[in-house]
Amino acid sequence: MIFPVGDFIMQEIAFIESTQPSVFAKIIAIALGAVIFVVACYLAHGLYNARTLLRREFSAYFLSPIAYVLFVVFLAVTGYLFHRTFDLLTTAGPKGTEFPMQAMFADERFWLVFLFIPPILTMRLFAEERSTGTLEMLMTAPLLDWQVVLCKYLGCLGFYVVLWLPTLCYLPALLGWHALELHAPSGFASFVFLLGVFIFIAGVALQFPLNLEPFWRLSGLLMVVSGLVIGILGGMYHFQSDGLHLINFQSEIDPLPVLSTYLGMFLAGAMFLSIGILVSSLVKDQMVSALIAMGLSLLFLVAGFWRPEQDGGLFYRTLYFFSVPLHFERSFTRGIFDTRPIILYVSTAFFCLFLTVRSLESRRWR
Amino acid sequence: MIHVKNLTKYYGDFLAVGGVSFDVLKGQVVGFLGPNGAGKSTTMRILAGFLTATSGQVTIDGIDVFWDPVAVRRRIGYMPESCPLYPEMRVVEYLTFRAGIKGIHGSLRAKRVDECLNRCWLGEVRSQIIGTLSKGYRQRVGLADSLLADPAVLILDEPTAGLDPTQIRETRKLIRELGTRHTILLSTHILSEVEMTCDQAIIINRGKVALAGPLEDLRSKNQTLEEMFIKLVDREESALAGG
Repeated sequence: MIFPVGDFIMQEIAFIESTQPSVFAKIIAIALGAVIFVVACYLAHGLYNARTLLRREFSAYFLSPIAYVLFVVFLAVTGYLFHRTFDLLTTAGPKGTEFPMQAMFADERFWLVFLFIPPILTMRLFAEERSTGTLEMLMTAPLLDWQVVLCKYLGCLGFYVVLWLPTLCYLPALLGWHALELHAPSGFASFVFLLGVFIFIAGVALQFPLNLEPFWRLSGLLMVVSGLVIGILGGMYHFQSDGLHLINFQSEIDPLPVLSTYLGMFLAGAMFLSIGILVSSLVKDQMVSALIAMGLSLLFLVAGFWRPEQDGGLFYRTLYFFSVPLHFERSFTRGIFDTRPIILYVSTAFFCLFLTVRSLESRRWR
Repeated sequence: MIHVKNLTKYYGDFLAVGGVSFDVLKGQVVGFLGPNGAGKSTTMRILAGFLTATSGQVTIDGIDVFWDPVAVRRRIGYMPESCPLYPEMRVVEYLTFRAGIKGIHGSLRAKRVDECLNRCWLGEVRSQIIGTLSKGYRQRVGLADSLLADPAVLILDEPTAGLDPTQIRETRKLIRELGTRHTILLSTHILSEVEMTCDQAIIINRGKVALAGPLEDLRSKNQTLEEMFIKLVDREESALAGG
């Protein structure tokens, strides 16, 4: 059986168009969207002013040996799981797997390694700065506390994303991709799409040179945003109306679980990293920070090692609320975007970041 | 320029600074003296906005440190005691990073970094990794860092601690030079340093101002600063012992 990726997206669009939300729901959604937009603009402005710190926090990982050790261990384990999954996919008989992502990421060996990754990434953030005294330099710079916390957090999250990037090369094999077909651009929409991509790349390139005038840096950012908008609009129109697509690929296995697994991993990582950063802001010693963060993470991961009876009883249902491995086993790796765990991850992340800002602030008073 | 009124800081139950008041006028170089544990570093940390006072008021350039900390921090260059730096960065990288944090971007940043590197004689170690630098060079990196944004006020916590005699002489020369453009508050244990570099001295002991005034006034009483300092500290000790 062949799964054309495009058909899934078309189905989703048709489904969203077919539902008729009430006027009240629409107003609530618009108001919520406006509030989130304003807050996001405020945060983005603060981040833009503190971009030097963001860049240093991200690049600091590449200057420390611990990140490379983590890379090697992480890739070794996911590589081994890939090997096993690939075996499962290719064996004949009843021993195969329906969901390759489930075979890879709902495995307890994966969660055992995952338990260590976020605490090790976050342990140095504040604990090291406090023990060497550099926190004093940082906290007397003209930045607000939340800017410092957000820059450190996003730098760390950025490295976490980089950690996951090499695993993308397993995907063609896991999904049984057919060779990509490339076609020459034909039709107006494909040119709009290519223009958007070009503006986006040029805007990204403008962010790299050091000592660039703020005017050029800002126009580069504008190019990134406008390129994204033009590219997405042109791409959607091109996708819907043009007969021949620029890139065409088909896969033999349902591709949606990949999307939901990666989204879930990103959000779950965001939650665990925020727990780690909170602990790091509370203690002075890196080792203690990592261990306490691991202990707290274990609360969310315990169902990955100790499998509860899946009987649908009260205990199991309660455990399901905060058991990340169960969320992955039951929904994300099967292509279900379950909003309950997503809300849990995002709200825990925000709450922990809020507490981190407060904990940093309270240092000034003591 | 710096105005401190009834500054008090408790660490838990421990009184670190108890009602310190002093003023530093624009363009002055003021030495901040006192025995170990007198509250010098605590006071300077409050001025720089790293700590918040338990009570009392601090204004720098007319702006309250408590109510508008970011605006105050833009106007001061602060060099903490023992000068902590990121050991894995190169000198020029570190200064570029600090300049960016202080809101200097673009070609101005490269210019300011070069200026401060030359000013603090860091030219020949500019691309060396900070972890491999000697103590003296690190102190200079910290000093260069505090000068980056060309602030009106410099707060230097023991800028000459741990340096060798030549470096001390050079640093003093630099501070005297800087005193013509910036208002400087510097703390030290070395009394002769104050006599060489400062216009004014503030002596604090046990969290209180024991003596403050222009150096000429202090000198005119026909005794050196060292004699006065020892006398002051002794008197407090005996008063405590007697009471």
